[in-house]
Amino acid sequence: MIDMDKLVDIEKSTQSKQVFWDQGVYDRELERIFGRCWLFLAHESQLQKTGDFFTTKMGEDSVIVVRHTDGSLKAFINSCTHRGNSVCTADSGNTRSFVCNYHGWVYSTDGSLVDVPLKERCYHDDIDMSAMSLPSIRVESYRGFVFGCFDETAPSLVDFLGDWGWYLDTWMVGAGEGAELIGPPSKSILKCNWKVPAENFVGDGYHVGWTHASALEMLGGELGGLAGNRANMPFDELGIQVTTRHGHGFGVIDHAGIGIHDKREGYAKFLQETQPGVAEKLGQPRAELYDGHWNCTTFPNCSFLYGTNIFKVWHPRGPHEIEVWSWVIVHKDMDEDTKKEVVKQAIRSFGTAGTLESDDGDNMVNSTRNNQGRHTRKNTMDSRMGVGHEGPHPDYPGIVGSSFIGETSYRGFYRFYQEIMSADSWDAIRAKDEQWADCFPNKDYWKDRLAAKAKAKGGE
Amino acid sequence: MHNTEAKDRVSMQLHYDVSQHYYQEATLLQEREYQTWLETFIAEDIHYWMPVTERRYAKDKRAEPSPNDMAIINDDYDELKQRVDRLGTGTVWMEDPPSSVRFLLSNIEVFHTDKEDEFVVRCNFITTRHRGQLERSQHVGGRVDLLRKTESGYRLVRRKIVLDARVTEDKNLYIFF
Ligand code: FES
Ligand SMILES: [Fe+2]
Repeated sequence: MIDMDKLVDIEKSTQSKQVFWDQGVYDRELERIFGRCWLFLAHESQLQKTGDFFTTKMGEDSVIVVRHTDGSLKAFINSCTHRGNSVCTADSGNTRSFVCNYHGWVYSTDGSLVDVPLKERCYHDDIDMSAMSLPSIRVESYRGFVFGCFDETAPSLVDFLGDWGWYLDTWMVGAGEGAELIGPPSKSILKCNWKVPAENFVGDGYHVGWTHASALEMLGGELGGLAGNRANMPFDELGIQVTTRHGHGFGVIDHAGIGIHDKREGYAKFLQETQPGVAEKLGQPRAELYDGHWNCTTFPNCSFLYGTNIFKVWHPRGPHEIEVWSWVIVHKDMDEDTKKEVVKQAIRSFGTAGTLESDDGDNMVNSTRNNQGRHTRKNTMDSRMGVGHEGPHPDYPGIVGSSFIGETSYRGFYRFYQEIMSADSWDAIRAKDEQWADCFPNKDYWKDRLAAKAKAKGGE
Repeated sequence: MHNTEAKDRVSMQLHYDVSQHYYQEATLLQEREYQTWLETFIAEDIHYWMPVTERRYAKDKRAEPSPNDMAIINDDYDELKQRVDRLGTGTVWMEDPPSSVRFLLSNIEVFHTDKEDEFVVRCNFITTRHRGQLERSQHVGGRVDLLRKTESGYRLVRRKIVLDARVTEDKNLYIFF
């Protein structure tokens, strides 16, 4: 029996190292997390015409997402209901139907079985095709980003994102017609547990200066000062970190949006021109975030950097390995040259051969691999940075940490991890909607800090 | 854009010269002489490109990837120089201790183009990287280069690196191919 209270100690802000290693924990993750959460599938811009399809994964399950003839998006498990072979073996494309290579069963773009070879003569017409559709998956989109969910009892995608959607809107609807993803995704294998990059993107501003010292030094610019942690910076004034109800979270470095990009004239101009519109459409608090650099994870395994504009999914392949899929985020209203510039710059830093991407791999692999040691994994990992320096904020929903360097959103990620791993049902999770933030007890952190700030300003 | 349409095959002598040039390049990279490689082998108008190639059905008529699309590497000279410079900062923790990279080149074919001093060179490669105790990766693919003969030797003007694997079995591709 897995005791989640032992694996995640919320009071002490620690996690057992077993969460990166044990097969039993992983099996339960596939069931309770990947089987119950909304998982990123594709962007609608890849699926515009009838019959456009994209093959992907949800946990370890192979999945097809496709634009059906009635205009809706459908998703189903890519495994024939006859003997289980794949019904689609291409990454993407356009099709009228999916034909299984094994015995030739044919499925329509809504997953229904429409043809069985030799049905009359060999099945003697004794087969109910209507009961043999490919197992279907719930599909919903948020601002053009398509997600799938195996669980009929899960909340809607909008409710699952909750306050996180409020933040996503900053760049998904803030500027003009919104955002889209440029693919096809590059794909690579990283021998780490899926949570290592997920937690890193959700809230690890701390590693940036050290892990990425070489790349930051080479790049210079706004973030160059972080290289090697040498700069004496007032970190509590340079950004915030946020965690929300279902473990989604992010950190933002104020006004550093395109700091990782080298050639960026088009992007800089675009941000400058669109920022006033964000304030008008969404208000000042989000306009303030709009030109920041964001590191984010949508629970459980979809991470992105807004500003650097890489968008990643960590597909688990057992407890010790993942497939990394990388796209690039662009704004639909950018001119073609700017889009190209953004794609080029994003992959240069965080693509498979990226100058910063390459810094991270070893940390993630070793943080996983070391737990092969039986005695190593009897220990815990720590995420206490900034405890108490966080709380509800008058302008920003969720729990807001004092700085982009802190572990508020780590704690929020593992808080929900523990909750969903323990909960028997979504109803049990819903029952705690009002209390989820109780483990962040300093309710007056921002009230006090903002009052002190106002006072200091008044006294000047 | 350069005209890279391969014409006739070059003479035996020229094929030998170009092959030796390629082996020398591989040796420099194996010995981590990246700066020398950049300064003596690379043209300032370099385009160094590794596209992302999807698995598509044979009947799929969509265009092949272009340099305007998603890629793994899509560098001009400045960007390639930054890759080299980063390795010289002394703070690339993952390369200390350094990894061992080896290049096996074969099937070198050299063609004239309609410019007298430019040649199309195709070859296959297996690039291996060993790191730490047991870590090893292998990348198999082909290169299509445009090579320019100058007073200071051959310079690489364009390199398209095509990996055969759809999913890279390595933690990154921070390797010069
Ligand atoms: S397994 Fe698909 S048709 Fe038999
Ligand atoms: Fe990183």
